[in-house]
Amino acid sequence: MTEEVHHLPLMTSDIILERRRNSRIVQTGVCLVLVALVAWSVQVTIIDDTDWERMGSFANVLEATNRFIGIDFALFKDLIVPTIETFMIACLGTLLGVIICIPAAWFGAMNITPFKPVTYPIARMMMTLSRSIHEIVWALFFVAVVGLGALPGIFAIAVRSVGFIAKMSAEAIEDIDPGPVEAIRSVGGNNLQVLIYAILPQILPQVLGVIIFEWEINIRRSAILGLVGAGGLGLVFFRQMNTFNYHGVMTVIIAVLGLILLGEAVSHRVRRSII
Amino acid sequence: MNPNGTSTTEAPLVWSRYKFPDTFIRYASWITVFVFLAYCIEYLNIPLDRLFGMFGRMGDTLANRYYPPDIEYIMDGEYMEYVVETIQMAYLGALFGLIMTVPLGWCASYNMTPSRRYVYPVARLITMGCRAVHEMIWAILFVSILGFGMLPGVLALTFFCTGFAGKLFAEEIEAVDMGPVEAMRSTGANLFQAMAFGVFPQIRVAFTGIAIYTWDVAFRAATVVGFFGAGGMGWYLKRNVLQIETERVAAILISILVLVMISEAVSAWARNKAMEMK
Repeated sequence: MTEEVHHLPLMTSDIILERRRNSRIVQTGVCLVLVALVAWSVQVTIIDDTDWERMGSFANVLEATNRFIGIDFALFKDLIVPTIETFMIACLGTLLGVIICIPAAWFGAMNITPFKPVTYPIARMMMTLSRSIHEIVWALFFVAVVGLGALPGIFAIAVRSVGFIAKMSAEAIEDIDPGPVEAIRSVGGNNLQVLIYAILPQILPQVLGVIIFEWEINIRRSAILGLVGAGGLGLVFFRQMNTFNYHGVMTVIIAVLGLILLGEAVSHRVRRSII
Repeated sequence: MNPNGTSTTEAPLVWSRYKFPDTFIRYASWITVFVFLAYCIEYLNIPLDRLFGMFGRMGDTLANRYYPPDIEYIMDGEYMEYVVETIQMAYLGALFGLIMTVPLGWCASYNMTPSRRYVYPVARLITMGCRAVHEMIWAILFVSILGFGMLPGVLALTFFCTGFAGKLFAEEIEAVDMGPVEAMRSTGANLFQAMAFGVFPQIRVAFTGIAIYTWDVAFRAATVVGFFGAGGMGWYLKRNVLQIETERVAAILISILVLVMISEAVSAWARNKAMEMK
């Protein structure tokens, strides 16, 4: 504070202008570097790497796009069961994710972690691991371990959702009002009682909101896990794609959109009624 | 004896946070959720009895097949080239997505949209469509239209980022202080001027944060978008998965993990910097 006051009279207009000029030079430099990087990447990834011959003219591209437009009504009755499956995989995956989250959030919150040097890094690592690996990769791994079907999908979604839920819950726990914790402790409550009566009621609405938000994202995720053999709408999508039934592909996408819309509507309503 | 003078022989008052219909609704909804989840387990034929044996098998698989990761394989120059391509794909996708986001987010924000009746729903629909379709599905669609290569990957990421950033951007515009905008409008500024001088200065920092975050998310998606032929590391992953070269797969996964951690650290640092400049 005093330093600031000290410097104030020295800030003549020349210095301000000089600084402004310098920062402008830096900004221009950064912009130029960015533009050069983008140009280089466009050159490498788009111009060099694309098979322009195969793509053909713009009309060909439009024609290829046009193949997708249309709905295969005959597919409707085959879509009901996979849609339900997708929805259920998302629900169970979220539930399992929440169960895995409990220790992760407990260890990952600075103020209640049992033994900071060991448990805190473990929880942080769990969160990073879960968030950085894509659900497709998780699904591949679980398909290799537990076989085809809905189970690997549930595991993949559970593991994938741990990161976000645990991170948000841990942050919620770190932000709680310490008063109730001290009150419960001062009347002789042990750690578990503190957790149940002082911490849980404070974080519950927030955490429920996060869980429902994650559930909504999980519906979106579970719709593609079938691509690698984990059941649901993804499997139908994959089959339609492989049999070049483009209208069927579009139908599946519309089913996915419908499911996601439903999830979004439910999540919106439930979150509003909680908060 | 209590202060009111009534006798204490009456039944003590039981305090509860919720009254009758509330408690009933709460319990009913919890029970419904759990019954539904139990029914899901039943419907999907999940072998609960085998569940615990599976964890042992998971450990076995990890120890025997995925360990030790073939680190030499990912230290290869060719692989590094693919890593660089993945990074390029990620930021091109994020950049194009953000460029598309600016007009779209503007049209999809309820307070600043040019026309609430026509433009707003359309823009909302586009944003939602982009977000609802998973990036993998975008990748597959573009690969089937445009052929293999990185262009479909970039386009898939573009659509993904449009959906992702568009929503955040629109929400950010909806949260601005409308005072300056109204002041400008009352002095005769048109919508574009109000946007440029009334709204943009308020959301500049938030937009930088969103842009950096979008890049981070796009990079995570870019590592696997190649899985269905859209270029980058994903293609390597797919090849090794199909060849059951599990030790190489483990190495690739480790490389993805390290790269994502680096990108996360960079994005956190950059976002902090952007916040400081506020």
